[in-house]
Amino acid sequence: MSQNNKLLRIEGLVLYFNTTHGPVQAVDGVNFELESNRAVVVLGESGCGKSSLAKAILRLLPRNAGTYSGHIYLEGQDIMALGEEEFRQNVRWAAISMVPQAAMNALNPVIRVGEQVAEPAIVHLGVGKDEAYSLVKKMFQHVGVPEDFISRYPFELSGGMRQRVAIAMALVTSPNLIILDEPTSALDVLTQANIFNVLKRLKKELGVSFILITHDIATSSELADDVAVMYAGQIVEVSDAHRFFAKPLHPYSQKLMASVPRLHGDKEPEFITGRPPSLIDLPKGCRFADRCPARFEKCVEDPPVIEKDGRKVKCWLYA
Amino acid sequence: MATETLTTSAPSAPVAKKSASNSTFARVAKYTGIRILTMMVTVTIGVYLTIMIANMGGYMDTIIRNEVRDNITQSMLANPAFRNLAPDVREKLIQEKIASEIKRQGLDQPFAVRSMNYLRNALTLNLGRAVNMISDHGSKEVRLILLERLPATLLLTGTSELILFFASVFIALSLSRRYGSFFDKMTIAFSPTSAAPPWFYGIFFILIFAGVFRILPFGGLVDSPSPTNPIDYGLNVLKHLILPASAVICSSIFLSIYNWRTFFLIYSSEDYVEMAKAKGLPQRDVERRYILRPTMPTIITNFALLVITLWTGFTITETVFLWPGLGITLYRAIGFNDTPVIVGSTIIYAYLLAITVLLLDFVYALVDPRVKVGSGNSQ
Repeated sequence: MSQNNKLLRIEGLVLYFNTTHGPVQAVDGVNFELESNRAVVVLGESGCGKSSLAKAILRLLPRNAGTYSGHIYLEGQDIMALGEEEFRQNVRWAAISMVPQAAMNALNPVIRVGEQVAEPAIVHLGVGKDEAYSLVKKMFQHVGVPEDFISRYPFELSGGMRQRVAIAMALVTSPNLIILDEPTSALDVLTQANIFNVLKRLKKELGVSFILITHDIATSSELADDVAVMYAGQIVEVSDAHRFFAKPLHPYSQKLMASVPRLHGDKEPEFITGRPPSLIDLPKGCRFADRCPARFEKCVEDPPVIEKDGRKVKCWLYA
Repeated sequence: MATETLTTSAPSAPVAKKSASNSTFARVAKYTGIRILTMMVTVTIGVYLTIMIANMGGYMDTIIRNEVRDNITQSMLANPAFRNLAPDVREKLIQEKIASEIKRQGLDQPFAVRSMNYLRNALTLNLGRAVNMISDHGSKEVRLILLERLPATLLLTGTSELILFFASVFIALSLSRRYGSFFDKMTIAFSPTSAAPPWFYGIFFILIFAGVFRILPFGGLVDSPSPTNPIDYGLNVLKHLILPASAVICSSIFLSIYNWRTFFLIYSSEDYVEMAKAKGLPQRDVERRYILRPTMPTIITNFALLVITLWTGFTITETVFLWPGLGITLYRAIGFNDTPVIVGSTIIYAYLLAITVLLLDFVYALVDPRVKVGSGNSQ
């Protein structure tokens, strides 16, 4: 497959945050590819840099952002090289949209939801108000929000409905890629299942690609074509979902999978001893070494990314 | 499916709206009534406290009684007509005169009763007559004394506070966009300058611009004799306004910007602001719709409260600049123990405050859909 077939290709993406204790290496040299009409799940513990990765892709940098470098190729074009205004016009919501973590607070409390969903269409598609609203209605239908909710305010909606509105908002400009940042973490299981069904249907019907950032392995397996596992600011394993869920390669992935409770079988859910390293003061060599059951002498050096049957793993075990 | 939902929802909408508006009216009416009642109670208590304080809890009556006694005794003793009377007859006459004067002024009644009279007059805006002070036109009417000074005060406070408010809000908004920039750091560094009051800056401004450079007047509202042409008069007043207004602005601009900047920084890190940026909205839209609009209630509150404080004037600043405003008048009224002037000025402020707070409640409901007038369960 040629490079141009990739929807998104990230090379050496770095995003550090400046703090009084030193730079937080939230995203530290991430390489990553995504083909169109596929869903990749980015798994990892809290604080491993998943959300920062999403923000880095959309260039939503907080005030204390420090180093921000690398390349992000979107359909072959390096969007990191774009100026701020060009980036706003051509990338944000025009090509990549996102469903934020905690969609509860992602809606402006004093603007009607219909208007908030219509805004990106007006800005990026250059359509008039009426056309934008008919688009909003279509999107509401896609995600299962009643049409008359258009004139409601966010506080008049339930959590699940707000999440759906957030998804409708991400869809309204028909971008090729949607980044979902823990879209269901605040919702009950029924609503979660419902929303994942919506996402699956959208992928099939509209051909969008997803980057789904989550720590919820069980529900994400529903949607995943590929899996990327993130640990301490780096991606430690990339695999197709089928083989990953059957047999993860990286010891961290194995531990992560073992921590999922199972309905059948006596196996107790496991947990990983220790804590993920501080992103300010990272260990030399393999970042997981301290907690790794399979650690050996070589782990004091930084492991290379090893290709194994089309899967990638950053671990000395497979060298 | 889309058309189906449209047709079913369309006819039911007006019906729902009508019944909603009926109950809304009843709710708003009830709420307004209760609000006005509680406001009146608050105003009454506030004014009564002012009356108590201005009269030193009734001690002022003793002072006035003694003054009356002194004055009458002095004048009677000095009056040649009474010099030949027997001392006991004269003494009786003096006591009678004192008693009648005290009765005339109502000082024979206990203070509790008198304070209620004060309160009734104040609440009905019957401001009465000043004890010692007179207006520039020679009237003792408290209303005239206050009205005469109001334009000058409003001119100074209005100009300076409005410039201060709008300048700081808009500068702060642009600084919150440039967090950590040179100008941002400079504003923070300069904010302690607001520790000094306006008259402190006023003294230096007078020294520099009036004393040394002689380009602006030392003080006052207008030159004497004042220009007869209205345009010249206006320009002349404007020239006199520059120094006191800049003193007021200088003394709080940096702190005010700093406050608003911090306020906007907090609100611009809300999730929905980041979302608006992610949506690729132009910066102007993000600021107008996602930062200013949700914070509108706070901005309006600050503005409304500012507008009514304009009424009180700046006591010392007016003194330094010889500005014939209410601040000076109030200051002199305190010095003269002139209770009616003090109470009169307070009651007007209390009413303005109450009306503003009442209006604000309804303005909130207009600008913030989350605020529903009179319903306890908006969420």
